[in-house]
Amino acid sequence: MGTAVSIELAADRPAPELRALIGDVCGWLHEVDARFSTYKQDSEVSRMRRGELTSTGCHPDLRHVLGACADLWRATDGYFDAYYGGVLDPSGYVKGWAVAEASQRLVDAGCPTHFISAGGDIAARGDRVWRVGVRHPWDETKVAWKLAVRDAAVATSGTYERGGHVINPRTGKPARFLRSVTVTGPDLTLADAYATAALAMDRDGLRYLEKLATDGYESAAVTEDGRAFTTPGLPVAT
Amino acid sequence: MRRSTAAVFGTLAGVGMIFGVRMAAPTQIVPVAEDAAAEAPADAPAEPDQDDAGGAQPDDEGDAPADGDAPADGGGAGGLTDGEFRGTGSKYAYGTIQVTITVEDGKVSAADATYPTGGDSATINPPAIEKLNESALTAESGDDVDAVSGATLTTEAYRKSLQAALDKAAG
Repeated sequence: MGTAVSIELAADRPAPELRALIGDVCGWLHEVDARFSTYKQDSEVSRMRRGELTSTGCHPDLRHVLGACADLWRATDGYFDAYYGGVLDPSGYVKGWAVAEASQRLVDAGCPTHFISAGGDIAARGDRVWRVGVRHPWDETKVAWKLAVRDAAVATSGTYERGGHVINPRTGKPARFLRSVTVTGPDLTLADAYATAALAMDRDGLRYLEKLATDGYESAAVTEDGRAFTTPGLPVAT
Repeated sequence: MRRSTAAVFGTLAGVGMIFGVRMAAPTQIVPVAEDAAAEAPADAPAEPDQDDAGGAQPDDEGDAPADGDAPADGGGAGGLTDGEFRGTGSKYAYGTIQVTITVEDGKVSAADATYPTGGDSATINPPAIEKLNESALTAESGDDVDAVSGATLTTEAYRKSLQAALDKAAG
C-alpha cells in the first residue's frame, strides 16, 4: 500500500538544509511505517498481534498510539475503534499522527512554515495562508470547496475510494449516508479521527459535526445523495 | 523565500485509515484483544458475566470510563480469564452500546454488541440540523490550491500512476 506524501517548506534557508529537513521527515515516516505497518510481518504491530510483544515491551510510540486510540474510542462514543474484531489495527490513527509529528519536527528544526500532505491528511503550518482543496467526491479532477487555512490541519475521510468500508457500529452495516467528511482544526490527529467517526455515524454524523464546531473543528460534508453541508465557521477561501 | 518541494512515494502505515472505525467494543475490552492480551485495564475491569446478566451495568449517566488510564496502555502482562465478559454500557447521543466478549484459552474469541431497542433508540432521523448550512454541491477547478484533501487513494492503479508521474518528474 502506498501513500504519496508531499512536503513544502517555506524558509529562507540554503537548499541543502531544506533537503536535509525533508530527508528527516521522510526518515521519520519510514520509521513509522516499519513500526506500525499491518502488512509487514516484522512490524511491532504485527508482532503484537501475534502475542510476541506487549505494551510494556514495545516502543514508546506504539504505547502512545495505543493509549490515544483508547482515548478516541471514548471521545467518539465507540465509533473509533482500533480493535475491531479483537484485532489490533491502529492505522486509523497512525497516519494523521505521523504527519502531525513530522510537522512538529519541522517546527523544532526551525522551520515553522511548512505544508505536509499525505493522502487526506494535511498539516498547513506557519504564518501564512494555505489553500486547501476538498476533493469532489464524484470527480477526482475537481474540488468541492477551497479552504484558506492558517496554522491548521485538514483531514478528509470518504467512502468513495474504498466503498463502504466504514462500518456503523450501531447498525453493523457500512455507513452510506455521508460520502465525504472533511474536518479542519488545530490538531491533525483529532481532525482525522473525527472525520472518520462522523462518516461511521451515518445521519448522526451531521449532528456530531455540528457539536465539533464548538470545539474549534469546522467541517464540510457531502451526503451520498449529493447534498453539501458546512459549519458556519468553515474557512472557505475567497 | 525559498521553497523546496518533495514528493515521497512510500508506504505509510496509516493508509488504512478507513479501517480504523469499525465495530465498537467497550473500553474495558479493548486491551484484551488478542495481541494486547496481556493488559488488564486499570480503570474499569470487565466483570465476569456469571450465569445471569448480572455483569451488565447500564450507566444512565453515560459516564465513560474514567479518564486517565488508557486501556491499551495498562501495562502488566498476564493471561485473560476464560469466560464471558460484559462491558459496562457506554452512552452516547441516542442510546447505549454494550459489548460482550467471550474469552477462550486466554484470548478473545468473540465479541457481540447490543444496542438499545426502545425509547431513545427509536430516533432514526436526527432533529433538523440547525447549525449546518446546506447547499448544492459545487465542482471547481483545483488549480489554485496548495494541495487537495481527499479520501486516501490506495489502489494499485494509483500507485502505478503516481510512480509514473514521479519517474517523469525525475526524468
